[in-house]
Amino acid sequence: MIIGIPRALLYYQYYPMWKTFFEELGAEVVVSSPTTQATLSSGASRVVADTCLPVKIFLGHVISIVERCDYIFIPAIRSVKRKAYNCSKFLGLPDMTKAVIPESPPILDIEIDINKGKRHLYQAIYKLGRHFIGNPVKVRQASLAAWQAHLKYQQLMSSQGLTPPQAIAKLSGEVELEAPTSIQATIALIGHPYILYDEHISHRLIHRLEEAHNKVLTPEMLTTEELESATTRLVGNAHWTYEDEVVGAGGHYLETRVDGVIGLMTFGCGPDSQMMDMVHRWATKLGATTFMSLTLDEHTTEGGIVTRLEAFLDMINRRKRRQIEVCA
Amino acid sequence: MRVSMSHMGNIYVTIKAWAHKLGRSDNLIIPPANSQRTLSLGVKYSPEGLCLPFKLTLGNLIEACELGADTLVTVGGDGICRLGYYVKTQEQILHDLGYNFEIIQLSLSQQRVFGLLKLMRRLSNNASWFKVISALRFGIAKQIAMDKIERLVQKVRAVELVKGTANRLYAKAIEAIDNADDYNTLKKAQRDHIDQLNHVAKDTQAKPPIVGIIGEFYVVLEPFANLNIESELGKLGVEVRRRTFISTWAKFSFFFNYLGLDETTRIHKAALPYLKRDVGGDGWESVGEKVLHAKEYDGLIHLAPFTCMPEVVAQNIMLSTKENIPVLTILCDEQMNRTGILTRLEAFADLLKSRRQARNNTQHKGS
Repeated sequence: MIIGIPRALLYYQYYPMWKTFFEELGAEVVVSSPTTQATLSSGASRVVADTCLPVKIFLGHVISIVERCDYIFIPAIRSVKRKAYNCSKFLGLPDMTKAVIPESPPILDIEIDINKGKRHLYQAIYKLGRHFIGNPVKVRQASLAAWQAHLKYQQLMSSQGLTPPQAIAKLSGEVELEAPTSIQATIALIGHPYILYDEHISHRLIHRLEEAHNKVLTPEMLTTEELESATTRLVGNAHWTYEDEVVGAGGHYLETRVDGVIGLMTFGCGPDSQMMDMVHRWATKLGATTFMSLTLDEHTTEGGIVTRLEAFLDMINRRKRRQIEVCA
Repeated sequence: MRVSMSHMGNIYVTIKAWAHKLGRSDNLIIPPANSQRTLSLGVKYSPEGLCLPFKLTLGNLIEACELGADTLVTVGGDGICRLGYYVKTQEQILHDLGYNFEIIQLSLSQQRVFGLLKLMRRLSNNASWFKVISALRFGIAKQIAMDKIERLVQKVRAVELVKGTANRLYAKAIEAIDNADDYNTLKKAQRDHIDQLNHVAKDTQAKPPIVGIIGEFYVVLEPFANLNIESELGKLGVEVRRRTFISTWAKFSFFFNYLGLDETTRIHKAALPYLKRDVGGDGWESVGEKVLHAKEYDGLIHLAPFTCMPEVVAQNIMLSTKENIPVLTILCDEQMNRTGILTRLEAFADLLKSRRQARNNTQHKGS
């Protein structure tokens, strides 16, 4: 049995976990190829115009693998933390995919809601495992193995400072990239992993920064505790599940005074429209770190991004030079 | 203490009634009605990606602060949609603007009627529970009266001979209800205006097409946010129906839900084949209502704020349901343009009329 996993949205957070789970149960996993313009166009053609960019890309990825798999795995993740919910689009994702891509193979749809208690979670996992194997013990073993894989993945990113794609490459035994030698400045990127690491959406922003001899920090390089405590300081209790990546990381990096922080969000993102604003206000209040927020959509051009990036880096360099002059 | 809140439809009448019954009318500031200025203020100080309800309610709060309000009551919740987070962002924005105030979040989805009663008691300087409850009851009675009249107005607008009569009577009715001090005057105001509406000169031959209004709560209820779409449809000779009324909502979430009755269960059941779970806001209900009303109505108008998360999901799913009924989705935001919307409404009304004619023709042929 072949399970298709689209390389979009929650792939970057949970891929090693999902892969382990399905392979333990004897299934084969197919991942769609990295995003291209064709992925975006095919996804965008199916939905109404004001659907957000990451969802359009997600649907494009689904379309690209419909013929190569028996099932497509699209979880509906309602919450992974108490009293914090996920954006509507994640909740409606399985139903929306079914509605707009009628030719898709059956969708494996599992509802994760921590607010409903552990029992609900275990039942959901068992329900998913039953598609492959009737034995609950085997499903339990597979889910424990998957959880271990997830912990290892997270630990790899936070302890060694790897980005999700690098960590996934390392877990599957591929060689990783060398760290840059001379460092001009340390720049933190904040935003959801499906924006930061999708090179089509972000226009290779990480590579561009590294080519200009900057050290790039991302939210995944922080531990969960660091993220959560910064979130609490900025906005109190988090309202949405995946907002630590924005406010938590933003707050932490602004407070630890890296040289610059770039916030990446897509146009039409509900939670980010409020959260990025909170980070912006915090940056203005602290006033020590250069902050820039970039709103991306399908019309964003490479030239525009490069220009803003150059201006941003120039500003940081000038600021640094001035500090040195003052010291001397 | 000078208390204020945002507008939503005619809810200010109810709130005024509460304050009056609790003897705190002097402490209540009703912000000026929604206007272009409200919208401009809201848009100017909101993050650009936020939805229209946020911008308008922020505009109301700014105008309230300008009038000297120092206690702002906002409705929040523990939901999936952005509404749950409005209060924190609005508080931050108003603070940065330099206003001095206390913000009180009323979480209706969790505390329901008890939260409201407690808040009313607190704001009325610990009035007796009896007084608080009777004030609540009187306010809701006013809301029920207004909504009853509005339902009738929706019918009359489509068939009245002199366009605008129903609207004029409706405005008069709201004023009369607003001025009513006790149940008797309230009842009299309601009866009088229903009578007058029934006697408006009507086109008795007309069988107007029926359009259901579905979508997000705030933009459905706030005429300023949807460019008074119901009245415009009335001018085009279309009868409007909707499920969302403040009084219906209050009745269910304050009383009937405790008895295990829920008006939305039926709608959710209808939506199940297409959408299996709540996506926050009114997304689930929108899909369900399309399925339910496909047979009863001639068409549906789906109102949603631009970038509304739940309604985008609903909109995508609604396109592919089996139940076939024309749906016109109108996204409301500050860029909305009157002429553009009117043109679309006219085309939609024409479509419904010709569909009806085509159906009648085939029926005639069949018999």
